[in-house]
Amino acid sequence: MPDQPSRRGFLKGGLAAGAALATATTAARAADDPAITEIQDWNRYAGPGVDAEPYGVPSPYEAHVVRRNVPWLTADPISSVNFTPLHELDGIITPNGLCFERHHAGIAEIDPAQHRLMINGMVDTPLVFTMADLMRFPRENHVYFLECAANSGMEWRGAQLNGCQYTHGMVHCVMYTGVKLRHLLEEAGIRAGAAWVMPEGADASAMSRSLPLEKALDDCLVAFKMNGEALRPGQGYPLRLVVPGWEGNLWVKWLRRIEIGDKPWHLREETSKYTDLLANGKARRFTWQMDVKSVITNPSPQAPVTHGRGRLVLAGLAWSGGGRISRVDVSIDGGRNWTTARLDGPSLPKALHRFYHAFDWDGSELFLQSRAIDENGFVQPTKNDLRAARGENSIYHNNGIQTWHVAKDGVVENVEIS
Amino acid sequence: MSRFPRLAAALALSLLPAAALAEGDVDAGERVFAKCKACHAVGDGAKNRVGPQLNDVFGRIAGTAEGFRYSPAMMKAGEDGLVWNEETLTAYLTAPRAFIKGNRMAFAGLKKDAEIDDVLAYLATFSQSGDDDAASAEPAPADAPDTATEDGAAAEPKAGEPEGAVVEAEAAAEPPAHGVFHLGRPATEAEVAAWDIDIRPDGAGLPVGSGTVLEGETVYTEQCAVCHGDFGEAIGRWPVLAGGYDTLTRERPVKTIGSYWPYLSTVYDYVRRAMPFGNARSLSDDDVYALTAYVLYLNDIVTDEAFELNQDNLATIRLPNEDGFVADDRYEEPHYAAGAEPCMRECKPGKAEIAQHAAVLDVTPDGDSDEDGSGGGID
Repeated sequence: MPDQPSRRGFLKGGLAAGAALATATTAARAADDPAITEIQDWNRYAGPGVDAEPYGVPSPYEAHVVRRNVPWLTADPISSVNFTPLHELDGIITPNGLCFERHHAGIAEIDPAQHRLMINGMVDTPLVFTMADLMRFPRENHVYFLECAANSGMEWRGAQLNGCQYTHGMVHCVMYTGVKLRHLLEEAGIRAGAAWVMPEGADASAMSRSLPLEKALDDCLVAFKMNGEALRPGQGYPLRLVVPGWEGNLWVKWLRRIEIGDKPWHLREETSKYTDLLANGKARRFTWQMDVKSVITNPSPQAPVTHGRGRLVLAGLAWSGGGRISRVDVSIDGGRNWTTARLDGPSLPKALHRFYHAFDWDGSELFLQSRAIDENGFVQPTKNDLRAARGENSIYHNNGIQTWHVAKDGVVENVEIS
Repeated sequence: MSRFPRLAAALALSLLPAAALAEGDVDAGERVFAKCKACHAVGDGAKNRVGPQLNDVFGRIAGTAEGFRYSPAMMKAGEDGLVWNEETLTAYLTAPRAFIKGNRMAFAGLKKDAEIDDVLAYLATFSQSGDDDAASAEPAPADAPDTATEDGAAAEPKAGEPEGAVVEAEAAAEPPAHGVFHLGRPATEAEVAAWDIDIRPDGAGLPVGSGTVLEGETVYTEQCAVCHGDFGEAIGRWPVLAGGYDTLTRERPVKTIGSYWPYLSTVYDYVRRAMPFGNARSLSDDDVYALTAYVLYLNDIVTDEAFELNQDNLATIRLPNEDGFVADDRYEEPHYAAGAEPCMRECKPGKAEIAQHAAVLDVTPDGDSDEDGSGGGID
């Protein structure tokens, strides 16, 4: 396997490979394909046994499918973010090792035997649960997306990052196993007058947010598994809060305490951060829900078109914090004309939805866009709609329509268009 | 004592006067104890708080105050024979973290020998055995509940024996009364106090304490300036703490405590829970008051270097941008309010033209440029 190439090298390499492939396809009528006519090593020699990898890992040919970070975004990788390689994935479930991570003081490495969850504040009996205690509550399984409020936040002032991994990769979607937060709060006994809860993490940032009690009692989970296995340390092992449809910062990892109160706390992450500054200098606060959004994952800048003209399959993701996606439209001419894409796979509320659109490419330049509509009738706005309403300093909650330019040679670029 | 090589070292370093206790001033010690009071109670009816109650601390085996949940490190120290007396307390208060590695006391230690002498003299007035005669102390293991006497084998639990089994058996016999599923157990007061550190804008949760601008400057210079800069201007991409007034409508808003944050309580809460970065929970409550006061000073919100911030005046101080926040009204924006069926055919005139290329900025990782993006960071 070659080393991970640079982006440009990757693009050039991909195009060269595509050209070679096209030649091979054309030439196949005359020349035999050695991939078929020659006996391959893997067809002759026995491979590793079942004990080779007690915990399996991807093929070495998939070594480029990794999370990446953007070093200039933050002061230090210990308090930073990495991005899911959306352009390399399909379906709606994100593999655990590829789920983007955002930490505020690095990954807390917690011995689950020493982990405790405390419920205190306006309760009849402040309680402490061990992990073993939590396993004895009724368990539920739900597939939910988790999106950072700052996903696409670097694009407010214009096209900036070349790749949907960077423009949209602060989202992932897994199946969580956990217990209803409601059960835990009611076990302690919620006192009259309570209106807010404050989840808090055990990490060195003691991450904390204010959350309305109504949401806590509605669909929040305290989860210990993702995609069937224990949470990864970077996702809050052994315990995290799941706040379906709402911004990722609320999904407190390494959850150790939930306090119940009658007013919000106005903590650092809901005042100085995760507030949306508008053009008039005022800032919206408590902007929890993630809005209807979509992105074409293939082709995209990191996944150029390498096969030349002919059949081309667009693939993409759509999601809404308001519920299910009811429809996704795609445009290949920069929003002049739209066609409804095909949704495929499970359609679950507050989960990623997969869409496809196949057509015959004539080799001319394309301006690819996707536009999601959710079950409540909310239509994904354009980036300019959002700028007109909010200005360019919001950072958070950018769910504008993304444009990819596909050049005649198949190279794809993040652009803003007229 | 041979199990405490660190103790010998600490004693050698501090060159204790033999009659230190006798030299301590009880009244002065009471004033020194103000630094301890946020966590420790002493005197009539003293209860465990964030730290154990300190009545009869002289002669107590380390890690054995009844009902207090110690760190494993402190319990181990007691099991290894550490008894609190004048010498051991002096060594501990000189350098708490070095004396017992991994113990949970966040206090950095008393720098002056006289302060230690005084506070020990004060504490000795609440102890039956004010001398250092450890041998006379009755062991009172905190983890051995009263039920231990019901079982001869458990009456004197030895190190390494599963004391937890006794507790669990007791729990099994009498299920907790709370809740629906009767799972979990009631939290103790000390446990809640140890974790419940959040502060609200109305001052709820503020600990007793105080600190001045000048005191804050010292702590800030030592602990904060390396990232936040001498004047809160920030090094690299670390957060800017001061200035930025009248920038919120500009192309590059500078969101600082002075220009953006709505409430001062947030500063106290955040510094106390998460700062300094990489060494959280290491500042005393007074240090946090002092730092919070200093940040006010950096932002010209207070101008007197002698200004003291405390539990009574913190919630009365207003930050300039308190009224700068509005409720979430996203769904009243025109593009959402329309609610019309989206256009499908000939929605825009003319051919799409590129207005901006990401490749021109070239800030994508793995590119050749190491320039910062123009769109701002995400944190």
